[in-house]
Amino acid sequence: MMKDMTIGQFYNTDSVIHRLDPRVKVIFTLIYVMSLFFSRNPVLYVAAFAVLVFYIKLSKVPISFIMKGLKALGMIILFTVVINLFTVQGAKTLVEWHFIRITDAGLKSAIYLGLRLCFMIIGSSMMTYTTTPNALTDGLEKMLGWMKKIHVPVHEFAMIMAIALRFVPILVDELDKIMKAQMARGVDFKEGNLMARLKKLVPIIIPLFVSAVRRSNELALAMDARCYHGGEGRTKMKPLQYKRNDRIAYVFVMIYLVMMIAIAIHF
Amino acid sequence: MDIRKKLIDIKNVTFEYFRRDAEGNVQDMVEALKDVSLEVEEGQFIAILGRNGSGKSTLAKHINALLFPSEGEVIIDGMSTEEEENHLLIRQTAGMVFQNPDNQIVGNLVEEDVAFGPENLGVPTADIWNRVDAALNETGMEKLRNQSPNHLSGGQKQRVAIAGVLAMHPKCIIFDEATAMLDPQGRKNMITVAKRLQEENGITVILITHHMDEVLAADQVFVMKDGHVVAQGAPELIFTQKTLLEECGLCLPVFYQYMEQMHQDGILTDRMCSRIHTEQDLLACLKEVYTQERTGDSAGKDETIDKAFLDYPTDGVGKSKEGLLLNHVSYIYNKGYADERKALDDVSLHIGKGEFVAVIGHTGSGKSTLMQHLNGLYLPTEGNVYYDGQDITDADFSMKELRQKVGLVFQYPEYQLFAETVEKDVCFGPENMDISRVEAQKRAYEAIEAVGLPDTIYDSSPLQLSGGQKRRVAMAGILAMQPEYLVLDEPTAGLDPYSAKAILQMLKDLQQKQGIGIVLVSHSMEEVAEYADRIIVMDQGRKCMDGPVWAVYNQLYRLEKLGLSVPVGNRILVTLRQMGYSVNTQINRMEDIFAELARWKSLMGKQV
Repeated sequence: MMKDMTIGQFYNTDSVIHRLDPRVKVIFTLIYVMSLFFSRNPVLYVAAFAVLVFYIKLSKVPISFIMKGLKALGMIILFTVVINLFTVQGAKTLVEWHFIRITDAGLKSAIYLGLRLCFMIIGSSMMTYTTTPNALTDGLEKMLGWMKKIHVPVHEFAMIMAIALRFVPILVDELDKIMKAQMARGVDFKEGNLMARLKKLVPIIIPLFVSAVRRSNELALAMDARCYHGGEGRTKMKPLQYKRNDRIAYVFVMIYLVMMIAIAIHF
Repeated sequence: MDIRKKLIDIKNVTFEYFRRDAEGNVQDMVEALKDVSLEVEEGQFIAILGRNGSGKSTLAKHINALLFPSEGEVIIDGMSTEEEENHLLIRQTAGMVFQNPDNQIVGNLVEEDVAFGPENLGVPTADIWNRVDAALNETGMEKLRNQSPNHLSGGQKQRVAIAGVLAMHPKCIIFDEATAMLDPQGRKNMITVAKRLQEENGITVILITHHMDEVLAADQVFVMKDGHVVAQGAPELIFTQKTLLEECGLCLPVFYQYMEQMHQDGILTDRMCSRIHTEQDLLACLKEVYTQERTGDSAGKDETIDKAFLDYPTDGVGKSKEGLLLNHVSYIYNKGYADERKALDDVSLHIGKGEFVAVIGHTGSGKSTLMQHLNGLYLPTEGNVYYDGQDITDADFSMKELRQKVGLVFQYPEYQLFAETVEKDVCFGPENMDISRVEAQKRAYEAIEAVGLPDTIYDSSPLQLSGGQKRRVAMAGILAMQPEYLVLDEPTAGLDPYSAKAILQMLKDLQQKQGIGIVLVSHSMEEVAEYADRIIVMDQGRKCMDGPVWAVYNQLYRLEKLGLSVPVGNRILVTLRQMGYSVNTQINRMEDIFAELARWKSLMGKQV
């Protein structure tokens, strides 16, 4: 199951989008997601779809990879859509069966919501597909740098995020090892009712927790040994600097924003 | 004459800390270091030896200003660790490579991790790139600079850690048991890199280890025991103090033990011994002194004779035979995905009751996958696995019973302990079987006794035990299920020689007294020579040799081709045979080889 989770992963390839400054991508993603809420006009959705297709094409991330990520959240999308379909009530009834009543407004609302969710998920996961976790962290740290003035530990948060990203695969591996070791001691995870199964998690969660604490202790020591002393006076190997392409990208983002506002007002 | 500068000066350092119980009350005070004094000159290669818990790592952390003495003073390059403003400079001067490769890498890319130190020091961007380039070059990691650390081997990760220290331009690098978790190849590479840095870049190296073969290259050796430095001097000088080393739980390099024995037997003279510094020297010396006129090409012939012992019959075994049988087993990871990989390739083998079999091969040769087939954690992609004649994929076959009969002990099994007391943890396995609580407890007690732990340990928390004890508790947890076979993945990894020997002897006892079949996955050829009866050699997912230990070890060339080493004892015997002497090469235990060498010498004496 873990293998099918493509959401939040980085898709390693070289493209114009991959090379963009992470800040551009963060801002575009925010604007894109916001624009989906501007209006419920079909023209707006067509435009958003066209831009998304163009974005994906440029990024060279295969459609199959993106669809796999969407599929992982399929149940949630479906659930939301179905709830909407049944609960939003309009004037014209399309289907009626016992207590279920689907109206034109419900159908419309469900379709828009479904599209909006899909666009939102794809749009925002494009950011993680094309940006390494580190670049993303760097980008956020720099964008939120002004918050340091009001004593928000932005650097520390960024460091925590970067380290978490590094250790997630290690802990997933460890989890797998611990599960196997306990299976070798006769645990059958597929057996028993819900309570029994929950109880079987104890011999897995505790060693994993102990290991995480041990690892973090050792890592803290190793960071000390390498002269880490917070963000003060720290330089960067790869400082973020806007290049020509980033400026061009910003122009496109602005054009997109203006276009979407125009659509929302005019139609 | 250049007067060397004193780089490290440790003066009468004592380090104490409080040991607390679960509620945080002070139980007792531990003196990890007692009045330790030590001086290191710039550019030296220093080794600090000692058992787990002897205080050697605590000492190392004082040099890096990670720990501070309760009494005494530590001065690094003229700076005392007492002054807080010196700390960053001291840590930059004396860099540290830690034991666990994973837990010291911060960056998500190799090059970004190497840059972490210089970034902290506030080095300008352009200069960071230069430093990273140079450091990666120095450690041979430039090709992997854009890789994620998670895709590297343990040895490669440690080299990234070295590069990370080098990029800070240190005067001294401390290797704090940095080789303990590596395979022999990785260990060797680490030592080579360390030695080169000392010789070519003039960096002072402090190597902390319990492997005595790693300290041969050192200028100066310090031996620690219970927080004291009990001996210091050149390696040759330290090696002669055999009883002291044994008291410290250390073990002389194996070739050295042979050299001493051969010296006693009169095979080697004082003068010869003084010239022998490595295994190669020893073999070269034998060749030089004992080459006879009538050397023939008997070498090739003999190897073919031995080969007859090598292919263990599997097809002929018959599927009904008792024991574990793998019949043409292949296993493919991620079948159908882009990263599909064949981990086992047409492997057939049979393991009988009460055998002691060692599985050897490189990291990634398929050993771990193989062992997980033995208790059904993996099911073959192709082929079949039989337990006492029954296919384990049959519908009526009880997987639970197989897991009980074939106990699997993973690497570092102590990381899977979870219960609040030793007793509860050991009971976990038996309780998963359908037996009464009392019976489970009885088995747990027996298992704890079998692994050589005292009964006072039942109510202790597993987390409070020493490393070696934890490992025994984890093994007891498997033994309590009363398995017929015990499959172990490197049970001695990370343990000092004394604890390692005790664990292996325990396994041998289980085999001999209780008739439990042992399958030992190991990287240590010497350990296999001493305890196993049969070896299975794996390479790239295939079984390439399977036979008695001696027969496999007589295949010098084939093993060398696979990049595996042959223990010194067997090399000596084969060398003598190649020189035309009729020595018995069908042995592999050190004791037997000692006796055979003595016999050979006395026969020669009669001839002359």
